[in-house]
Parts: sequence; C-alpha cells; structure tokens
Amino acid sequence: MIIFREVHKWFGKLHVLNDINLEVGAGEVLVLCGPSGSGKSTLIRCINRLEPIQKGELIVDGMKVHDHRTNMRKLRAEIGFVFQQFNLYPHMTALQNVALAPTKVRKTSKREAMDLGRQVLGKVGLGDKIDSYPAQLSGGQQQRVAIARGLCMRPKIMLFDEPTSALDPEMINEVLEVMKDLAGEGMTMVVVTHEMGFAREVAHRVAIMDMGQVIEIAPPEEFFSNPKNERTRLFLSKILRH
Amino acid sequence: MLEAFNFRVILEYMPLFLKCFMATLWLSGAGLLGSLMAGTLACAMRISNSRALSGAASVYIESIRSTPLLAQIYFFYFGLPSLGIRMTEEMTGVIALTLNSGAYTAEILRAGFQSIPFGQVEAGVSSGLNYFQRMRYIILPQALGVTIPPMLGQAIVLVKDSALLSLISITELTRAGQIMTSERFMPAEGFLTTAVFYLIIYFVLKSIAGWSEKRLIFREGR
Amino acid sequence: MWTYYLTELAHSLPFFLKGLWMTIAVSGISLAGGTAIGFAWGILRTRKNRFIDHLIGAWVDLIRGTPFLVQVFIVFFILPEAGVHLEAFPAAVLALTNLGACFICEIVAAGIRSVPWGQKEAATASGLTELQQLRYVVMPQAMKTILPPLVGQYVLLIKDSSVVSAIGVMDVTRAGWLTVQRVPQGLLVFGLVGILYFIICYPLIHLSNFLERKMGGGTTSF
Repeated sequence: MIIFREVHKWFGKLHVLNDINLEVGAGEVLVLCGPSGSGKSTLIRCINRLEPIQKGELIVDGMKVHDHRTNMRKLRAEIGFVFQQFNLYPHMTALQNVALAPTKVRKTSKREAMDLGRQVLGKVGLGDKIDSYPAQLSGGQQQRVAIARGLCMRPKIMLFDEPTSALDPEMINEVLEVMKDLAGEGMTMVVVTHEMGFAREVAHRVAIMDMGQVIEIAPPEEFFSNPKNERTRLFLSKILRH
Repeated sequence: MLEAFNFRVILEYMPLFLKCFMATLWLSGAGLLGSLMAGTLACAMRISNSRALSGAASVYIESIRSTPLLAQIYFFYFGLPSLGIRMTEEMTGVIALTLNSGAYTAEILRAGFQSIPFGQVEAGVSSGLNYFQRMRYIILPQALGVTIPPMLGQAIVLVKDSALLSLISITELTRAGQIMTSERFMPAEGFLTTAVFYLIIYFVLKSIAGWSEKRLIFREGR
Repeated sequence: MWTYYLTELAHSLPFFLKGLWMTIAVSGISLAGGTAIGFAWGILRTRKNRFIDHLIGAWVDLIRGTPFLVQVFIVFFILPEAGVHLEAFPAAVLALTNLGACFICEIVAAGIRSVPWGQKEAATASGLTELQQLRYVVMPQAMKTILPPLVGQYVLLIKDSSVVSAIGVMDVTRAGWLTVQRVPQGLLVFGLVGILYFIICYPLIHLSNFLERKMGGGTTSF
C-alpha cells in the first residue's frame, strides 16, 4: 500500500529523513514512535504530500507521490489524515465538517453525504452531537469528529499524527477505542503516537525513528520484550517508566 | 512616451524641486511636532475624569475623523480671514495639519496608555512610588514602546497629507510638479519626479520604522 | 450681513446636494471596484507564487508611498501623453479605485494569513482544490479579521474622494470651493461641507467599531 524507497528529505541543512525504506501492506497497522525531532511526523506527512520529499521514491496505492505530475487530489481522497490539533473547521457543525469533502471532492449529493455523516458520527459515538460546533465539544469529542471526517471519504488508508497528544488524559481512551475498532475492521493505518498500550494491542508492527532514520521495526511482542537496538532500549525505558 | 522624457528639464528644475523637498520636510515636521502637542493635550483631556474636558476632546476627535483633510484645510484657509485673522498660507497649512494629525495622535496615545496592564501600576503603588515616578519609570517607557511604530506611521501620513497644501498655493513638492506642468507642459517629468521624491521619504521612514520595531522587540524580550 | 450669507447658503443647498451625490457616486463606484480588485489581489498575494506576491507588493508600496493627489494628477495629466484621454470623473474613479484596491488588498491578505495554518492543511488533506479551500474553509474564517478594517477603509476612501475636487470633479468639496468664492464665509461654507461628510462618515466609523467588537476584537486604528 505504502512504499518508501531510499527516501530523503531536508529542511534546509537539516537532514530530517535519511534513507527511509519502509513498506506498509494493505490492512496493516503500523505504529511509529521515537523521540521528538526524530522525523516521525514528517514521515507520515510525506505520505499524502503535506510535505514533499527530495530524493527517493514514495508510492502510495500504486501512485507515485514523489512525482509532481501526480494528481494528489485523487490520492488524498483515498487517504484520511487526523491531526494532533484536530483542525476542525470552527465555522461549521460536526455534520458539516464531515460532509464537506464528500460533497466537494467526491461530488456526492448533499443528502447522501449528510446521511453518511450521521452514520459515521454515530459510529464514533457522537450521534447526538451532529449539530454542535467544535467550540462546544471537548477535545476528545473534537478528535473523534476529525476521525469521522477522514472516514467519510471512505479512504483506503488512515494516517494519525499524534492524535492524542493534545488531549487531557481522561479523553485519550475514547479516541483510542475508536482507533482500535477501526484497526479491527481491517483499515490500513499508520499511527504516530506515544501510546504504547495501543501499539501492543493493535499494531502489526512497531517502528522507532531517531534522527531521521528508522532504527528498528518489529512486531510488538518482539519490539517491546526484546529490542535489538540500544537506542530502542533507551527510548523504551524512558517512556515505559509509567 | 519614454523617448520624449526630458531629463535635462528635470535637471534644470532640480533647484526648485530641492527647495520644495525641503519645504515638504519642514511642513510635515512642523505638523508632526504640533500634532504631538495637540494630541497629548487632547488625549489627556479625553482620559481625564472631567466630563466637560472629555466631551470637548471627543467632539474634536470625532469631527476631525469624520471629515476630509482637504475640507479642513479649506475651512481654515477661507475661514480664518473672515474672522479677521491674517496669516501666511504656510501657517494655515501647518495649523490644519496639526489639528488633523493631532486627533489621530490622541487616539494612538490613548491606545498606548490603555495597553499597559493595570497590574503594573498597582505594583508601582505598592512599592511606594508616587504618581510622577510611576509615570516616569513604569508607564511612559512602555507607552512609548507601543506608540512609536504607529507614530512613525503618522509621520508617513503627514508627508502625504502635506501634498494637499499645494492646493492653497504653498510651494512644496506637489506644487513643484504643478509648476512644471503649467510652465513647460511637461506633467510626466514634473509629477513623476515629485513621486520619486515622496517615495524616497517613504522608504526612509519605513526603514526607520522597521529598525525601531526590532529594537523595541528586543526590549520586551528582557 | 450674516442673514445675507445664510440665505445665500440656503439657496446653494441644492448645489451642495448635487455635490454630495457626486461624492457618493465617485466613492461608491470606487469602493465596489476597489473591493473586487482588492480581494483578488489579496488572495493572489497569499498563494505560493512569490513572484506575483512581490509584483503586487511593489505596486501597493508605490501607491502607499505617494500622495493620492499626485496619483490623481498622474492619471489625469500623464495618461493623455500615453494616449489615454480621460475626463475628470473617470480619471477620479480610476485613481480612487486603484487606491482602494491597494489598501483592501493588504487587509484581505492579512485576514487570510490570520487563519491558522492547520485549517488549510486539513482542507488539503481531504483533497479539496485551492479554490474550494478558499471558499469553504479559509475565507469564512478570514472575514472576521477583514470586515472591521474593511469598513474603516471605506471611510478613508470617502474622505480621500475629496481630493478629486482638484481636477474639477463636482463633489461636495468642490461645491464648497466654488461657493466660497461668492459667499466669502469660509467657516459657514466649509462647516456645511464638513457636516455633509460627517453625516456619511460618522455612522460608518461606528459600524466599524461595532463590527470589531462583535468579531472578537483586535486592533483597528485609522
């Protein structure tokens, strides 16, 4: 589904992605972790070309993201992206938020889009909040609307960039539950997160990045109990303290 | 059009342009100084506790802001003689500029004063500083920091406003262009040269504004 | 004497009202045109194309750095040399529209830049085109920041329209200028002119302040 081949990216002089070689198969859930500045957010943002890459090949759903002739609009319609800061449209209700892209990009009729929107919002547990504005919702609720907004496009891939990092602790679980359900349904997911419990339960593989490189990638049982890399061990010891 | 552009004539008129350039500078400068005085007075009246003073200042400020400068200039130019007051055009012009800019300056100063958090004043009071000390060490330095950038903006506005004084026969930059048009039928050479002079002043003032903003940000960083 | 002047003034009232109508016409057309062009330029300035941004920016700087009077003279006196002969009214509207467009362009660009970057990213990530992003996500949010200064700019343009009286456009200011030749009571005549402008501008200024409060505050000083 997603193929990184010898991918490099620089921010000026900073070598933020250094020779990335990674493959994510259909239906796979990949969790990406690492210290801040490791490049994990940048990596996931390259997948739908929110950030362009300078070297190497990036092929998503058969389309060449690195090629600037590729029609990204079509590809982005197949990828749902959930931001750390939610980025819900404040001037629209939850229902309008999730129905906007289907009507404008997939050209679905307004009524169909609204019906779908109601259904998906119900699925994430917000059926009674469809007419609420983001300002009236808690952080956890807003993030669930953001997930619903991605799902309404019926994407093939869902990307999550630290979806719970901006949430108060008591709201983290409601979002993780939605994500777990999604994984259970076979969605291809790449999740940048520090929530190791989620990784253990749901990920097919866990990858750790440091200084622009993927230093280790393994299924969770292996990753957590028997990390091969010294830096992985160091990182795990720091974050698994609590 | 450009082939016919006569640089020699511009050189010939350069003494006039330079004289008018200086005139524009001193007219704007006088206006700026005057407006600082008028503005400070009006601001003090506006924020005073006296309803009469505050009201009078409001009337002044609102009248100026709701009427065009040109109408105000004509008001003084045609109106003062009918009261028996005779003065040079330059004086009339400076008065009009002063009163006009003074109203805007008053609002700038008022915004500056009100932007200082009241907690600072309380801190000053509780350390035992008296009114003048609080003014000098706490309020005025900060008010200055907030007001210098918009005041530089006012300076730019004054320079441009001074062009209107050409319409009451004052010899300044725009008038130089008009003279070249009427004497030599060369409006292009005349007004484009005028424009260039104004742009020089504009970019100099803009640079000063940029430089002073950097310095001021530095101060707040401490 | 005074009664004579007052009755003369009263007789001139229709003349002034015609002038008022002309002021409204010149301002109105320029505001409409300036808003349309200003929004277009403002949007263009915030796109990825740096060249267009700098091009428009250079033009805006030119217009903001020179007095409007000089711009009016350039349009009226210099364009004929390039083959474009405009009468007073069209020349006035052209110059005022351009002035408005430049200032409104800056207001719009600032408003668009004030929308959090994440909003644009979310819209991009859903696959919306640039136009769709602008229309459904960015502009609705930018309007809160744009509307109050926009109305303020309208007031400034109405006042600036008085300058076109210098090339003979028969607006309120020109009506005053012509009347004062016959009725040498500058205070009365231009007092009337002031009142007429006041009637239009004062409510608009307060509309702008009201909008500013309603939209959540920010700094508008003009």
